[in-house]
Amino acid sequence: METNFIFAVLNSAIRSTTPIMMAALGSSICNRAGVFNVALEGQMLIGSFTAIAVNWFTHSIFLSVICGILSGGVVASLVALLQVKYKAADMVIGTSINLLVGAFTAIMLYVLFGVKGSFKNPALLTLPKISLPVISSIPYISTLLRNFTILDYLSYVVAVIMFIYLFHTVHGYHLISVGVKSEAAESMGISSLSYRMGAVIVSGLLCGFGGVALSMGQVTLFTENMTAGRGFIGMAACNLGRNNPVMIIVASLFFGFCDAFATVAQNRIPSQITMSVPYIATVVALIVFHGERAKKVKAA
Amino acid sequence: MTMRHKISSLLKRLCQILWQPLIAVILGFLLGSVVIMISGESPSHVYTQMFQKSFFSFYYLLQTLTRAVPITICSMGIIVAWRAGYINLGVEGQMIVGGLVSTVIAIHTSAPAFLVLILAIAGGMAAGALYALFAAFIYQKCNVSIVISTLMMNYIANYIASYFVTFPLKDPKSGIAVQSVEIPVDVRIPRVFEGHTFNWGFFITILIVAAVYFVIGKTIFGYESKMTGLNPVFANYGGVKKNNVMMSAMAFSGALAACAGMLEIFGVKYRYIDAMFISTSYAWTGLMSGLISSLHPVGAFAASIFLSGLQVGGQAIQRTTNIPLQVSTLIQSTITLFVSVKLFTDFKHRKKQKVEAGDIINGN
Repeated sequence: METNFIFAVLNSAIRSTTPIMMAALGSSICNRAGVFNVALEGQMLIGSFTAIAVNWFTHSIFLSVICGILSGGVVASLVALLQVKYKAADMVIGTSINLLVGAFTAIMLYVLFGVKGSFKNPALLTLPKISLPVISSIPYISTLLRNFTILDYLSYVVAVIMFIYLFHTVHGYHLISVGVKSEAAESMGISSLSYRMGAVIVSGLLCGFGGVALSMGQVTLFTENMTAGRGFIGMAACNLGRNNPVMIIVASLFFGFCDAFATVAQNRIPSQITMSVPYIATVVALIVFHGERAKKVKAA
Repeated sequence: MTMRHKISSLLKRLCQILWQPLIAVILGFLLGSVVIMISGESPSHVYTQMFQKSFFSFYYLLQTLTRAVPITICSMGIIVAWRAGYINLGVEGQMIVGGLVSTVIAIHTSAPAFLVLILAIAGGMAAGALYALFAAFIYQKCNVSIVISTLMMNYIANYIASYFVTFPLKDPKSGIAVQSVEIPVDVRIPRVFEGHTFNWGFFITILIVAAVYFVIGKTIFGYESKMTGLNPVFANYGGVKKNNVMMSAMAFSGALAACAGMLEIFGVKYRYIDAMFISTSYAWTGLMSGLISSLHPVGAFAASIFLSGLQVGGQAIQRTTNIPLQVSTLIQSTITLFVSVKLFTDFKHRKKQKVEAGDIINGN
C-alpha cells in the first residue's frame, strides 16, 4: 500500500515534469545560440490557450495539439524579429511579451467562451491515455506509468533528439559556434542571425508543446496565467542542467517532483505553504548547484 | 532672439524624446481597438468612455492619482536597480514583504502614534531591502541569476504572506475575506478630500521621485551605478566597486518597493488583504512605465499616471461594456514592446556593452 503510494507520487511527478522540461529545452537551445529568451512563459501560455480553443471549436485532438505547438512558434517569431533581428533589449521584449500574452489570452477567454478566470467543459476532448501492452500488467510499474499521454513520452524523445542534434550533427555544431563566438562563426560563412532566429522559433514550438501538455495533460482546462512561472522554472532547470538536454531531463524531474510533493502534502500542511515549495526548491537548487560550480571554477 | 532659439531647441529635443513613445502609444491603441472590435464594441465609444472615466472627471482623476502612487514608487525601485544593470523582477515580492511587515508592526506595537509610524516605516523598508539583498547575495556568492531568483521570490512572498493572513494574522471579524486586522486610526495617512481615497501619499510620492532623481543624477552612487549599467568593465577599470554598487542598488530598490506597499496599505486599504498586490499588478505596471520612459524618474512618473489612468478607465469600461479589464494591460504591453525598438537605436551604438549586460543577466 505504502509502496504503491510512493509510485503514485512518482507518477504525478513525472507528469508535472513534462511542461517544465519542454520550457527548459527551449531555453537551452536559445542559450546555446547565444540568445537570452525571457518570453518562454508567454510562449507556453499561448500554447495552453490555443490548444483548448481549437479543441473546443474543431473537436479534433490532433489539430489542437498541432495548433497549440504552432501558436508558441508564432509568438516566438515576434520575439525573434524584435529581439534578434532588431536587437531590442531582451528583458524588455521578454517581459512585454509575457504580459501581452497574459492579457491577450484573458481577453480571448472572455470573447470566445464568455467566462473570466478559467474555462472547463466536459465536452472538451481529452488526450488518450496510453497503456503499454505488457508493462501495464506489472504491479508497481503500472502505477508508475498510469495515465501518461503521448506528450509525456514524446517529451523524452524530443530531449534525446535535441541532444543528438546539438552534439552530433554539423548543423547543431554551427548553432553552438554562433553562441560561443558569433564573429568567428560569421567568418566561416555561418549566418548567426538565421541560426539565432531559428533557435528562438524552435524554443517557441517547444514551449507551445509544453503549454499543450499543461492544459491537456493531467487536466483539460484553461486558467488565466495557468503557467504560473513554469517558464521561469524551466529557465532554472536549464541553468541547472547546464544547457545539456540529458542533464535537463534530470533537473526537470527534480522540479516535477517538487510540484508533485506540493500537491501530495496539501492534506497535512496548509496549502499556502505547500504551494510555495516548488519556488523555494528552485531558489535552493540554484544556490546549491551553482555554489558547487563556482567553487570548482575557482579551484581550477 | 536667444530666448526663441532656446525654446525652439528645447522643443526639438522634446520631439526627439517623445516621438517614438508616441508611435508606440498609437500602435498600442490600434491593437486595443482591434480587440475591442472583436468583442463587438466600437473603439471610439470605448476609448472616450475610458478617458472620461480616468482623467476628465474629478472623482476618477483622484482615483487615477491614488492608483499612480504604488505604481510610481515601484517604477522608481525598478529604475534604481535596472540602471545599475541588475534586473530586479522581484519588486512585487519586496512590496509584499515590506507591506506585511509594516502592517504587523503597526498593529502590534503599543506606543505613541508617531513612534509606531517610524518603526513601521523603518521595519518595512528594512524587510524589503533585505529581501532584495538576499537575491543580490546569492548572485554574488553562488552566481544565481537575479532574474530567476527575484521572480521566484515573488511567488514565495505571496504564498507565505497568504499563509500569515489566513491563519495567525487573520481578522476574526472578516468572515471568509482573507485579510489582516485594520491598522490603528492614528497611524493612517490622512486623506486630502472627504470621501475620496486620494491621500497625502501622493505628495510623498512626488518627494520620492525628486529624491530618486537627485540620487541617480547628482550623487556618487548614481554615477557609479550608471557606469556599471552601461559598461561594467569600464566601471571596474575606473575603480568602481561592482559589489558595493550591486548591494546598494538592490537594497535601495527593495526599500522603495516596500515603501510602495506601505503607502498603499497605510493610505488606502488600512490592512493587508490576501494577494492585494498580485491582482492589481502594481509592480508590473511600474516596470512598464520605467521601460516606456527609458528608466528616467520624471518620465516614469508621468508614464505611471498615464498607465494608472488606463487601468482606472479599463475598470470603468468593464462595468459598462463587454470589454474585459485586461484590454488596458494589452495596450500597455504593446506600448512597451514597441518602445523597446527605440531602445534599439540607443543600443545599436553600444552593441558591445549590451553583450556584456546580457552576460550579467545570464549570470556568467
